[in-house]
Amino acid sequence: MRALPLVLILCALTAFVTGQLLFKHAMETSHRGFDRNFAKFFVPAIACMTISFFLTLGLLQRFDLSYIYPFQGLSVIIVSIAGGVFLKEKLTVQLVLGALLISIGVVLVSIS
Amino acid sequence: MPVFRWLASPWLQIALNALIVTTSEIFLKLGARDTAELTRSWNWTGVTGLWSPWTWLGIIFTILSLVSWLYVLRYVPLSIAFPLSNVVHVLVPLASWIFLGELIGAKRWWGITLVLIGLVIVAKPVARIEEKL
Repeated sequence: MRALPLVLILCALTAFVTGQLLFKHAMETSHRGFDRNFAKFFVPAIACMTISFFLTLGLLQRFDLSYIYPFQGLSVIIVSIAGGVFLKEKLTVQLVLGALLISIGVVLVSIS
Repeated sequence: MPVFRWLASPWLQIALNALIVTTSEIFLKLGARDTAELTRSWNWTGVTGLWSPWTWLGIIFTILSLVSWLYVLRYVPLSIAFPLSNVVHVLVPLASWIFLGELIGAKRWWGITLVLIGLVIVAKPVARIEEKL
């Protein structure tokens, strides 16, 4: 396996996770109104999602879905842990275990 | 109105979001299937899919799914909502099986089972917190 596709996949994954974190943070600030502070997080979130979308599309043009998609499954466990680290959300053993099982399940669904 | 409060529940919205995502995927697949035969020089971009009304329905549902997802994120922690949203990986294969006649292999059934077990593990403590409220 060459390194470049793997790097691109990791970039797409990072952009996706960052986008989700920014979306969550934007929606939290939205309780104080959809103002400039909200836009400060919402606009970069849309940008991250767009980057992730086109990187994935570009990868899909060159590789099989069953090669690209399992990495999407990893996003479950990564997003959960990132929520705990960056958004200070409460992580329980149960939550991490559940997220891990879902991750493995999604990988299995997508490689079959 | 209690009905509206029930509809506004973020937990119901997670389920609704998963259904919207599944519907959009099915519509997009139908759109892609309808237009797979169209030969245009820029076919590879997927743009030819726009010739099918199914694709447009798929796009509308994709936008709806983003709106409902943002509503969910307003109230539910990301580390819980995101794993739960992965119920689509169960719903999409099932819907493809029921509505599109696609087959589900043994490995995929195992994956579906694992996702379901994970979903129960994530959702159970949440349900307990809800009861206390």
